[in-house]
Amino acid sequence: MTDVTTKSRLLPQSRLNFLFGLTLLALLLLLWVVLGFATQSFWTGNNISNLLRQGSMIAILAIGQTFVIITGGIDLSVGAIVGFTSVIVSLFLQWNLPIPVAVILTLLIGVGIGLFHGFGIVRMGLPPFIITLATLTSLRGIGLLITNGATISITNDTFTAFSRANFLGIPSLFWMVILVAVPAYILLNHSRWGRYLFAVGSNAEAARLSGVNVRRIIYMAYVLSALFASFVGLLLAARIGIGNATQAEGWELQAIASSVIGGTSLFGAVGSVHGPLLGAFILATINNGANLLNVNSFWQRIITGGLIIVIVYFDQLRRRRS
Amino acid sequence: MTSSTADATAPKGPRGPADAPILELRGLEKRYIGTHALKPADLAFKAGEIHAIVGENGAGKSTLIKLLTGVIPRSGGEIFWEGRPVALSTPHEAIDLGINAVHQEVVLCRHLSVAANMFLGEERTGGGLLKHRAMVREAQAILDDLGFDLPAHAVLGDLTIGQQQLIAAARAATRGTRFLIFDEPTAYLTRREAAQLFALIRRLEAQGVTIVYISHRMEEVFELASRVSILRDGTLVGTRAIGETDEADLISLMINRSIEQIYHKDPYTPGKTILETRGLSGPGFENVSVTVREGEIVGLYGLIGAGRSEFVTTVFGRHKRTAGTVLWDGQEVDIRSEHQAIELGIALAPESRRDQGLCLNLPVGFNINLPVYERLSAGGLINGRREAEMADAQIAGLRIKTPSRGTLASSLSGGNQQKIVIGKWLNHGARLFIFDEPTVGVDVGTKAEIYRLFSELLSRGAGIILISSYLPEVYELADTLHVFRRGALVSSHGYRQASHEDILTRAIGV
Repeated sequence: MTDVTTKSRLLPQSRLNFLFGLTLLALLLLLWVVLGFATQSFWTGNNISNLLRQGSMIAILAIGQTFVIITGGIDLSVGAIVGFTSVIVSLFLQWNLPIPVAVILTLLIGVGIGLFHGFGIVRMGLPPFIITLATLTSLRGIGLLITNGATISITNDTFTAFSRANFLGIPSLFWMVILVAVPAYILLNHSRWGRYLFAVGSNAEAARLSGVNVRRIIYMAYVLSALFASFVGLLLAARIGIGNATQAEGWELQAIASSVIGGTSLFGAVGSVHGPLLGAFILATINNGANLLNVNSFWQRIITGGLIIVIVYFDQLRRRRS
Repeated sequence: MTSSTADATAPKGPRGPADAPILELRGLEKRYIGTHALKPADLAFKAGEIHAIVGENGAGKSTLIKLLTGVIPRSGGEIFWEGRPVALSTPHEAIDLGINAVHQEVVLCRHLSVAANMFLGEERTGGGLLKHRAMVREAQAILDDLGFDLPAHAVLGDLTIGQQQLIAAARAATRGTRFLIFDEPTAYLTRREAAQLFALIRRLEAQGVTIVYISHRMEEVFELASRVSILRDGTLVGTRAIGETDEADLISLMINRSIEQIYHKDPYTPGKTILETRGLSGPGFENVSVTVREGEIVGLYGLIGAGRSEFVTTVFGRHKRTAGTVLWDGQEVDIRSEHQAIELGIALAPESRRDQGLCLNLPVGFNINLPVYERLSAGGLINGRREAEMADAQIAGLRIKTPSRGTLASSLSGGNQQKIVIGKWLNHGARLFIFDEPTVGVDVGTKAEIYRLFSELLSRGAGIILISSYLPEVYELADTLHVFRRGALVSSHGYRQASHEDILTRAIGV
């Protein structure tokens, strides 16, 4: 039998996840080494900082997305939430609200959007795909309506300086990934709510009959996803210095792709925090490398698509064998 | 009916000489890792006969059906179709030979029309396009001819389960079928629907179709079959002409072991009342008054649809009660959600463990701990060491056969899965346990272990409500046995107080 101390975790396929994580990490490092040889500018501090900044925002979205996908759902609205909240925080700053107040209010709006998703799924019985598709389009609409289609410039320099700042030589945006990922990891792997996320995704009926408050867990997943998305909205507004409802278009798909590359199963009940993080930085590296190699940006999209197919296919093979 | 009917009708029948076997099994067997689901069996089905197969749950009936319909490959032995050896390795091959099955659960497309289902895979087309009207007309003609009185244009899912079952039978009967297997076809049928089904079966017999009829219901076997074969624990123990056997003979062949060996029961001393319902009514049942005391097993017996499951799920807070009161420890309570029921100390092990009982793609240990994670964590954070220890202790205590606590629940056998569904509540400290058909599809050895779990729960002062459609189970275990019929509690009996016949009569209502 197994030894309690060495393998004390009871997570779904934790050992396999670990191996898969190592494989992804190896792939990421391989990409970095290859790009280091192929280009002169890849291993410059400037480019690495840039790469980390690019990957960070998708990485945070992907973690929230993973929570939702583990319950067997999907959140298509995260890109729209990023654009919408960038408008909201710009407005708050335009009204000269203090930064902490503007930030907290924006995050609360994110929580509200997540609660609305939970309400639609749990109370109205709408499929997650539908309710988040509806908010995807309508949030962009509301954002455009508020600004009348215009872009709001952020004149608050303290706010925008944050995105360019470094701490210990690492971009502050990347620190934000750690700020989100560590509690997310603890929640998913070491708390009972994490266990319940998996249980709901595996068999909601069995979870309910075991005393799990399934509705509350679904609310939790969508609130976290929307909260993380509104957090990314703040980071994006700080980085580009404007609020615009059409920003972050297609980021929901990048977040889903990162999550899936990171081993999350769209059927639910399989997923981790480190997987989507690695997935997001693999995608960011490919985009970054393609830019440095002067690869047509249209090709980047094709490469990303091919990569999703290859990685998920090998992941399926591995699962079938075990 | 006598065993000679098979010879009498042969005009449209098979080509071979009368009484020649249409399908013959020689040493047919099926082994899974660790179990011998069907031990080498020799059996010849005569052309045009109605051949019943009886046996307990887990005796190997479904294995035999799956082998005959090409759903699973055999591990050994030979199958002869009209004297020629056949592989029967795919369902397609079976259908091509003319072997078909009507399953207990309807395997049709609920969202399509009756006619579309009847022609599924053999659609009538003209110039590549579907001939909808022709199919509806043809299907209606078939249904009318059979006297089913069902609309061919209706959506299948809008019909009752019994009516769907009739459609499935009609579909199987009209596809050049020469060998038709019925697997417990009457489980969900009303008496009238059952009579219609029997008429269909007799008609097929007259046309020379060989019928294999699998049923728990002895009266049906004696009404329909000309011969009967008995399976016990994967062994074919014998075949009898129906005139040469009786019910007692069949039952002794099916069981062949003392009842005491399986049904472990400690003497019962009534404790204080845990739950009491007074005139409880809800969807599907009316005016039910039941008391459960500490250390007591309360059995609920009745046919499917008699209102037993609806009654317990209402007590469990899933449905709204329409009248009556529920008392918990003598206090009136209003249980409005399952969560509230669980908090109160009620646990329910549902009938369908795959759909409702287990998180199949999660580990064994995870499933065992699911009801008690609240207690395994402090401030929401889980104590990983205690979690693992608890899981291992439970696996050992329940004797669950699994490589480790990290193994996915889906890879365990049905019996071991059921031990998880029941055993996960042991540490929870619930005081009232509701078990809905806890031993369906479980072998005899595991059954005995599950009954011992019951004793353990009772010795800790819990009470049990046991729902079963298998009379010997409730009869031998229940301290109080309530019989349900059509949503009403029709009679109550003490431990072994009434006879089997008496209870059955009350449940059926003849």
